[in-house]
Amino acid sequence: MKRFFAKENFIPSTLDKKQRIQSLVTSLVMIVLFVFSSFTFFNMLYSFADILGSIVSGSPDVAIKDLLRALPLYLSFFMSLWALFLVHAFRKGKDDEYRLKSIFRKGIAVLSISGFNFLYILIMRFVGKYTSLVEGSPSSLYPLDALLYSVLFICIGLCAILYIKRFKEKLPYTVPVRPVACAEKKPVRFFYCFGVSFWTLIALFGLTGAGLTIFVYDFKHEYAFFGIAVIFIYLLSPIMLAFWEFYFNELKEEKKKEFLLPVSIASMVVSAIFITLYFVALKTNMDAPSNAGFGMFPITFTATANYGTLVVVFTPAIVSIVAFIRAIIAKIKEQ
Amino acid sequence: MNKKTILLSFPLFSLALTSCGQVINWNEHLDDYVFAMQYHADFNILQLTDIHWNVNSSTTRSKQYLDKVFKEADAHCPGGIDLVELTGDQFMLANTYHVKTFVEYMETKAVEYGFKYAIIWGNHDRHGLYSPNWLANQYRNASHCIYIEPEDNLYGRSNFVINLTPDGTTATTPVWQLFNLDSGASFSESPLAIGRNYDYIRDDQVNWYVAEHSPGVPTIAYYHIPQQDNLVAWNLIHEGGASFKHNFFKLEGFGDADKPEYKSKFIKTAKENGLKGAFMGHAHNVDWTVDYDGVVIGLGVKTGTELYFAHIDPADPKEELQEGLAKVNASLPVGEKIEEKFDLIGASLVTITDPEHFTLEHLYLNEREGANDFVRWVEF
Repeated sequence: MKRFFAKENFIPSTLDKKQRIQSLVTSLVMIVLFVFSSFTFFNMLYSFADILGSIVSGSPDVAIKDLLRALPLYLSFFMSLWALFLVHAFRKGKDDEYRLKSIFRKGIAVLSISGFNFLYILIMRFVGKYTSLVEGSPSSLYPLDALLYSVLFICIGLCAILYIKRFKEKLPYTVPVRPVACAEKKPVRFFYCFGVSFWTLIALFGLTGAGLTIFVYDFKHEYAFFGIAVIFIYLLSPIMLAFWEFYFNELKEEKKKEFLLPVSIASMVVSAIFITLYFVALKTNMDAPSNAGFGMFPITFTATANYGTLVVVFTPAIVSIVAFIRAIIAKIKEQ
Repeated sequence: MNKKTILLSFPLFSLALTSCGQVINWNEHLDDYVFAMQYHADFNILQLTDIHWNVNSSTTRSKQYLDKVFKEADAHCPGGIDLVELTGDQFMLANTYHVKTFVEYMETKAVEYGFKYAIIWGNHDRHGLYSPNWLANQYRNASHCIYIEPEDNLYGRSNFVINLTPDGTTATTPVWQLFNLDSGASFSESPLAIGRNYDYIRDDQVNWYVAEHSPGVPTIAYYHIPQQDNLVAWNLIHEGGASFKHNFFKLEGFGDADKPEYKSKFIKTAKENGLKGAFMGHAHNVDWTVDYDGVVIGLGVKTGTELYFAHIDPADPKEELQEGLAKVNASLPVGEKIEEKFDLIGASLVTITDPEHFTLEHLYLNEREGANDFVRWVEF
């Protein structure tokens, strides 16, 4: 076991002290932004589930009215997510030129979304669509809270752009970590990026979902087992994402090749255990999701759709299986 | 933390999450489910249903609409509103802010108009960013709210009965009984099922009804999800040629637990035990009501503009819409016939006129520009 975590396996072991601190700081900022993105994503899904409900029930006019009112919720998620990408670009990239461009593009994206959100709220207030800046719902301070959140991200976007302008020749901070996708050919890279993005969304959902389950789920009596199983299944995706990001992607290239197979097998086993736990818990009480924990499944907006739940449950297993297949293919190629 | 501590902390954490209260047998505590109100002739019960406050709602605007409904209903009832029945889905995808705001609002209106309000769970009331127990406590702690949820072995969160008695206490025999049942939310038939079934009133709830019923006393039941009887009655009229009295609109399915194995015994059994009326919500595009062999069964009018509701256009040739419109217009006096577009939103009013009879009216109330709101009271 110790050989998997030996210090010399990891890229940071090759960095000087200053670079290691910078690596740590960007990691922490990423975690904070991940939590922000997760929370705003969950909020957005809540709004989206209701809007979807209006559409499928034949009231698109209600959906449009709701979307116009709730747009700052959606934009709050997208500005958080792009800020997360922005910090990720600081951390990783195939070379400095690529990173400079990437940081600049993402900085512009953060600035644009947050700037638009800021203006949108003011305009909506000006034309009377919001009766006041603290009209209320979904929070007592809405939309003022969304306005202030935009200001924060306008500052983040501006800082990123100013940083690039200052260091346009050479970034002072360089960590030679290549995202896995950079090594692949175009079609593979596309599927990889799509898959990772989807997995990230599930992980964002899972993090807030798990946290909220503790407070929102009704743990009494026969429902308790299912509630605990839900917490584990929700935590699985963000923990696995963190593991691949902060453990596997930090490994030196030769160690990545060596560890991919055992890590993917371990990942499959863990996924299988928690998925089994989830279904055993569900089997013991089939009305638990809707009677005790309906709030944790926002997209399951009607009584006839279980798809969202199944996607969340199976994603960690799919990720593990894909990693396992990659490891097998790599082994075959080696031979 | 060492491994031992971690292993020990897991079951402790699990235990901490579960509550350890004493679960009572419902049939040994029948008195715990009873609330009493003073009976009088022309006792007015306003039914609001499927208000659906959610993260996209403007509570400010929604309250403005509810203000108009209360004002209109109060003006319409000579003795004022006695009881408001909130028949489920007050919330969907809402959070604690919405719940607190709503309960505060209802308390304010209860004081203003002098009514009590009773709570029924809908499938979506559980669908929010709060614990169902927390929501129950908000209702329990509201002084004008009637809400009873013992920690029992009876299906559903909240089943209780409001006895309308001559002196307003539970000590005397009721003149009428108002049953409030939790018709549940939904359930999977198997762990891997893609679909989910809407819930239904279970056998133990039916037995509870029978046990709580005072022999010879007429009853009205309120719950959220229609049982299969609504569809049976509709089909008997439209396919079997039955001549039950019926009125109002059915512009979508009833949203019931539609498989034969989930047919509830409730209506059939309750009918043999005093049931005169059963009112529910759930399907927003439906307020169709039928006198099904002595029991008036009907959906209330959806309250407010959240999520979805039917837009009625008299020029729309759809058969079911025209049938509903013809029935409604036949119930309206000449000067009030509906010839303009309107939305199927508002409220429903049951007036218990005497110890044997009640009347039912549906209110269609749409906000319009200026002071020209669309208002129609339609008798069943």
